[in-house]
Amino acid sequence: MPMVTINGVEVEVEKDVSILEAAAQAGFDVPHFCYHPALSAPANCRMCLVEVERAPKLLPACYNPVSDGMVVQTESEQVVRARKAVLEFILVNHPVDCPICDKAGECKLQDYYFAYDAQESRMRAEKQHKVKAYPIGPRVVYDGERCILCTRCIRFCEEISGTSELTLADRGDKIEVRTFPGQELDNDYSLCTVDVCPVGALTSRDFRFKCRVWLLTSTESICTGCSQGCNIHLDHFRNETQRYRPRYNSEVNDYWMCDDGRLTYKNLHTDRLLSPQHNGATDNWHTLTKSVAAKLEKQIKAHGEESIALVLSAQAACEDIFLAKLFHEEILGKKAQLYIAGKPSGKHDDFLINADKNPNRRGIEAVFAKLDGIKDVATLAGDITAGTIKTVYMMGTEFGEGDRSEAVAALKKCELFILQSTQGADLLDVAHIALPACTHAEKEGTFVNEEGIAQPFYKAYEPHGDSLPDWQIFMRIAKAMGKSTLNFTFLSKVQDRMFEATELLRKAEEEAAAAAKKAAEEAAAKKAEEEAKKAEESAAATEEPQDSTPS
Amino acid sequence: MEEKFLSRNFEIEKAYNLDIFEEHGGYSTLSKAFSMDTDTIISEMKKSNLRGRGGAGFPTGVKWSFMPRDSDKEKYLVINADEGEPGTFKDRYIMELDPHRLIEGCVITAYTLGLRTGYIFVRGELQHAIRRLERAIKQAYEKGHLGKNIHGKGFDFDLYVHSSAGAYICGEETGLIEGLEGKPGQPRMKPPFPAIVGVFGHPTLVNNVETIASVPFIIERGGDFWASLGIEKNGGPKLFGLSGMIKKPGVYEAPCGITVRELLERFGGGMLDGSDLKAFIPGGSSCAILKPDALDAQMGIETMREAGSSMGTGCVTFIDHTTCMVRLATRLAHFYHHESCGQCTPCREGTGWAYKVINSIEAGRGRPEELELLLDICDSIQGNTICAHGDSLAIPVRSYIKTFTEEFEDHIKHQRCPFKPWRTGKSKSKVSSAA
Ligand SMILES: Cc1cc2nc3c(=O)[nH]c(=O)nc-3n(C[C@H](O)[C@H](O)[C@H](O)COP(=O)(O)O)c2cc1C
Ligand code: SF4
Ligand code: SF4
Ligand code: FES
Repeated sequence: MPMVTINGVEVEVEKDVSILEAAAQAGFDVPHFCYHPALSAPANCRMCLVEVERAPKLLPACYNPVSDGMVVQTESEQVVRARKAVLEFILVNHPVDCPICDKAGECKLQDYYFAYDAQESRMRAEKQHKVKAYPIGPRVVYDGERCILCTRCIRFCEEISGTSELTLADRGDKIEVRTFPGQELDNDYSLCTVDVCPVGALTSRDFRFKCRVWLLTSTESICTGCSQGCNIHLDHFRNETQRYRPRYNSEVNDYWMCDDGRLTYKNLHTDRLLSPQHNGATDNWHTLTKSVAAKLEKQIKAHGEESIALVLSAQAACEDIFLAKLFHEEILGKKAQLYIAGKPSGKHDDFLINADKNPNRRGIEAVFAKLDGIKDVATLAGDITAGTIKTVYMMGTEFGEGDRSEAVAALKKCELFILQSTQGADLLDVAHIALPACTHAEKEGTFVNEEGIAQPFYKAYEPHGDSLPDWQIFMRIAKAMGKSTLNFTFLSKVQDRMFEATELLRKAEEEAAAAAKKAAEEAAAKKAEEEAKKAEESAAATEEPQDSTPS
Repeated sequence: MEEKFLSRNFEIEKAYNLDIFEEHGGYSTLSKAFSMDTDTIISEMKKSNLRGRGGAGFPTGVKWSFMPRDSDKEKYLVINADEGEPGTFKDRYIMELDPHRLIEGCVITAYTLGLRTGYIFVRGELQHAIRRLERAIKQAYEKGHLGKNIHGKGFDFDLYVHSSAGAYICGEETGLIEGLEGKPGQPRMKPPFPAIVGVFGHPTLVNNVETIASVPFIIERGGDFWASLGIEKNGGPKLFGLSGMIKKPGVYEAPCGITVRELLERFGGGMLDGSDLKAFIPGGSSCAILKPDALDAQMGIETMREAGSSMGTGCVTFIDHTTCMVRLATRLAHFYHHESCGQCTPCREGTGWAYKVINSIEAGRGRPEELELLLDICDSIQGNTICAHGDSLAIPVRSYIKTFTEEFEDHIKHQRCPFKPWRTGKSKSKVSSAA
């Protein structure tokens, strides 16, 4: 492995890494625009030029690989002068409209300008004018004057989304990013171009002029758009989510996320169910939990546990599902029927987008270890109509692949329908009781993605209205029903119990699987033994006469 | 009179026709080359001290030896005929008057390095040259100098003419390769060099028209002979295109090492009557400008570098006392700004900025601090770009300012161009302030 010296610091690095990456390992940040760790390096911005001993010119650190014994200066006088010059050049035709630019505050050009250039403009002539506020795609707007022509967006579309809509057109200082004729920037990941754009040349039509970025607080979270579980920064201001941005995770989503998922944040604020409802009238938690408890007890007494349906949502977090499981075992009774619900499946591709539009189906599997006793929600309508189900306690408002209107019609006939959800949707009018749950932005929890990776998400702001995390709602009702076993003071206590329980379940599963395997092996061995015996016998039978022939 | 090589056929009528070309000994070197060992040919090329005639002056034999020889990958020959540098007009003479010489050189080169396909990448504006080349190639195919099993030697070589879409930057060898592949002419980062990754990702030899047109002579007479015609490290004769305020502008053949004074006096017929030599550009507009005191510098890569400029393409422009240096610099900056591909920051933004500043000085609106600014811009561009196009603006502009500082200062001090007494910046600003 080559040894290189960067600003006097010796580091040993992998073969073929670039000088820029080696410098990062030695603890030096080389300023750059066109370089992006997930994209090829065209070395066109010239921001990363560094001094390499015995090289006749400065070299772009993003492009040149290290070699053994290389001596590099990333902050020498010559380097800093070149860097300053590149910044000055970029600003020659730049509109410097930071006060109205959405990127201000997270713009590489602004940051580097303050770090290295910070001088008055020496440019007196008319600037080159280019296209402004051009809708380059349905979700992205392009500003040619702010563009520094780093081609990151073009390379994203070529190398990551594979859609290649973008190119450079014209030349010299008239050069611009454009779509190929007859195309627009409309792929499932088009908003990632806004993330990779180091300046404010590409802006999200959704986020434009909405909020200054320095007002945003960022919380680590998970996208709930599908079962991929892309890691995100959930950026919020005054208790409202303003946008999602992908958060790097090499195991799950790299630097990217899809446009549909990114825009799901809007659901966090639309048509929320914000207060408990009793037969269409607003109620408070205190009295309502009591009524719920009384009603559930009455229904159990009247029709037995088996007449009650508890519908689990694949949209809910593991912790919520775990409490639902305890609620089922200890409150409703083990004979109560379990159903699994979630959003119907949708489009998928071979990159990030999964067909399962729920973030936590695998989480339900993890909590219950096996799904044998759990029915699909599509069968619920039939069970109600057949009269086996009289009471429905439902998390969320989704019916999976089931027929929605049929399900709603059936629920109308239920003796008791309790809805526990973030939104009421068309079920609010049908529900006898509606319990407001909070969104994943308003609580902490865990989702297990398609690959089986458990990923935490964190609380960004307080729950809206009177909403509560699902797990707390289950606890309140349990308490109202006089069962104190479901009592956790903190989420961490829930998690401890959950991990303990799932671990036990997992072990039991494993043991069962091992036992089954052993049994199968034994059976196979026995069979083989028998067959061998048989073959021996038949061979002996045929051999005997042969033996006898010569004699 | 010295023996002529490259311009041997220029005076012969219709030498661009195959029969006339052959009558005068054309294609006779092919059989000699085919009887030679390819290693011997490369060593003859090295001995000849032939330097690339495209401007950079890289030793041709050395460049050939960089081509991988044992790989089975298809390899390409590309002839750089994009001649677009202002003041340079020698390659078109070869293509228009002696196209078969270039083809002959191509066949020898391809045979030596095992190249199966060649492209002549011609500047789009040179339509006449393109037609002559296409006709010559057709004739050469008919006579079996190109195509399958050339001269029965079991060696195949196809040659095509590619017309450029018209951008100066496609003369830069990697911009040319992009253009040949059908993409916008945006030069590539080096390394990898074309000899390793060139056209369509294959090893490619890129040589200038004049470079390859010299090859048959080196085969005919030997590398040592060619070297003996020039000076140290600069072998052979070459074509010199003379232009400017001289009596006999045109293309002349002379050995490397000839002085600029000799070129001017012996071939160019001296300055026009009434014209005094003020300066000259030795090898195309991207070279630094020199004053008459450098007239005795020899035309060679190293000798011109010592004189403070470069030999470039060897096409000299003579400038007389009526020419405004600021105006000349403006024109030149305009050209390099207009032709920048726009890929990399210093060239894309710096060339335009430099043009605007010089233009405002020429228009009588300059400020004293702007000379310093211009030199700063040049320093910040030079050496910091992907290709040498940025340098092509920085080097001459810096040299104009440094060599003719007073003239620039005059423009700024008097707020007008002293060569245009009828036009002042002042009156212009009066009009605008009144409006
Ligand atoms: C901006 C630019 C323009 C160039 N234009 C030409 C050209 O028109 N013709 C040419 O032969 N070489 C041109 N060159 C030089 C080529 O890049 C290359 O060095 C040459 O084709 C190599 O051939 P040679 O070794 O035979 O000289 C240009 C270089 C630059 C940087
Ligand atoms: S739009 Fe942004 S990402 Fe694309 S080239 Fe311009 S600056 Fe770079
Ligand atoms: S130096 Fe100029 S011409 Fe060359 S790659 Fe950069 S922008 Fe293009
Ligand atoms: S980051 Fe290296 S040249 Fe742009």
